[in-house]
Amino acid sequence: MSAPVRAERLIGRVLLLGGVLSVSLVLGGLVLYAVQSRPEAREIVRVVRNREAGRAVDVFTSLGDVRRALTRHPPDPLAVTALGLVCLLITPVLGVAVAGVAFWRAGDRDYAAIAGVVLGMLLLSFALAAGG
Amino acid sequence: MSPLAFVAALFATSVAAGGAGAVLGLGGGILLIPILTLFFGVDLHYAMGASIVSVIATSSGAAAAYLRTSLSNVRIGLFLALATVSGALLGAGLAGVVPIRVLQLLLGLALAYSTVTTLRQLRVELPETTETDPLALRFGLEGTYYDAALDRDVKYRATRVAQGFSAMFGAGLLSGLLGIGSGAFKVLAMDHFMRLPMKVSTATSNFMIGITSAASAGIYFSRGDIHPVLAAPVAVGVLVGAAAGTRLMARLHNATIRKAFLPVLAWLAISMILRGLGIGLP
Repeated sequence: MSAPVRAERLIGRVLLLGGVLSVSLVLGGLVLYAVQSRPEAREIVRVVRNREAGRAVDVFTSLGDVRRALTRHPPDPLAVTALGLVCLLITPVLGVAVAGVAFWRAGDRDYAAIAGVVLGMLLLSFALAAGG
Repeated sequence: MSPLAFVAALFATSVAAGGAGAVLGLGGGILLIPILTLFFGVDLHYAMGASIVSVIATSSGAAAAYLRTSLSNVRIGLFLALATVSGALLGAGLAGVVPIRVLQLLLGLALAYSTVTTLRQLRVELPETTETDPLALRFGLEGTYYDAALDRDVKYRATRVAQGFSAMFGAGLLSGLLGIGSGAFKVLAMDHFMRLPMKVSTATSNFMIGITSAASAGIYFSRGDIHPVLAAPVAVGVLVGAAAGTRLMARLHNATIRKAFLPVLAWLAISMILRGLGIGLP
């Protein structure tokens, strides 16, 4: 199997696993949220139609927010969903990292470098987002 | 509408958006944002947050299958991602400095021209490429895939790489400036400039849109635009739809996909020209 094909299969597996893990967490959190039938769940349609109405309760804006809500007793089910969404958002980044490693191990320095530069730019964009 | 009915309707819409996105190489934002805001009455910021989740879910769901069958070309995807991601970063930095309406108008006119040229090539199944691009040779921008519709292996090699790369940079720049996904532009650059088979263009675009969108996903998350209850059915629905779309795409002819892509291109051209002229659209 050639280096690009090996890299393709490896990235495909990472994307698939990322997708499966994300969906499991997202669905698990959503089911728990529905089962607990919190009062705010009944207001959800109104909340997504009016951003200011729901932001403080339901929306997470940092990984710290998600972590705090997960370690609470009982854990916030929407934090489980949010964790799934975070997993989904970082899956393509992991795909690029895995591609870089796969090309490097196959001795394809050009594409290992290209994957490294793309990964660096993605990390820069995350740093800029975190810095506001 | 009850919360359960709302989530169910959202899930069904997302399945359709994911299926269309997987076949056409789009993230689904072009379909999803107007539907969420107009039909579901969702706040625009939340709709945009759900859209970025949809783009990445489509990319993960579709690209996983396309990479397994070699329809997505990882070398071409990474090579062009250099242009789109750097363009997106520059675009985000230039937001507020560059006259966006002029850019939208120019882009709309370019898209209108592309719509006409795509119309002329509507029945072309596989592009005939006689040119040999030194950049394509140097970076190995070529591949082979098994075409189920044609029942044979198809070999291809990119041409006019510099033009394709420049178009991708422009697509990334606009992505960063306007906050839009750029799946349609990516497909266009690969199909129109680099003369790749339409299936390879849409499948490789599916791989790339996840990477480009990841660059802005952090911004949407930190702004609080990603509402879990809204984004969850969208993510799951889009993933299911994208998985189904990849099975459908394998059986379609390249010319059929191009025909399905044409109305999207025409709509984008009209939308960009109207926005450039200051006529707002959802």
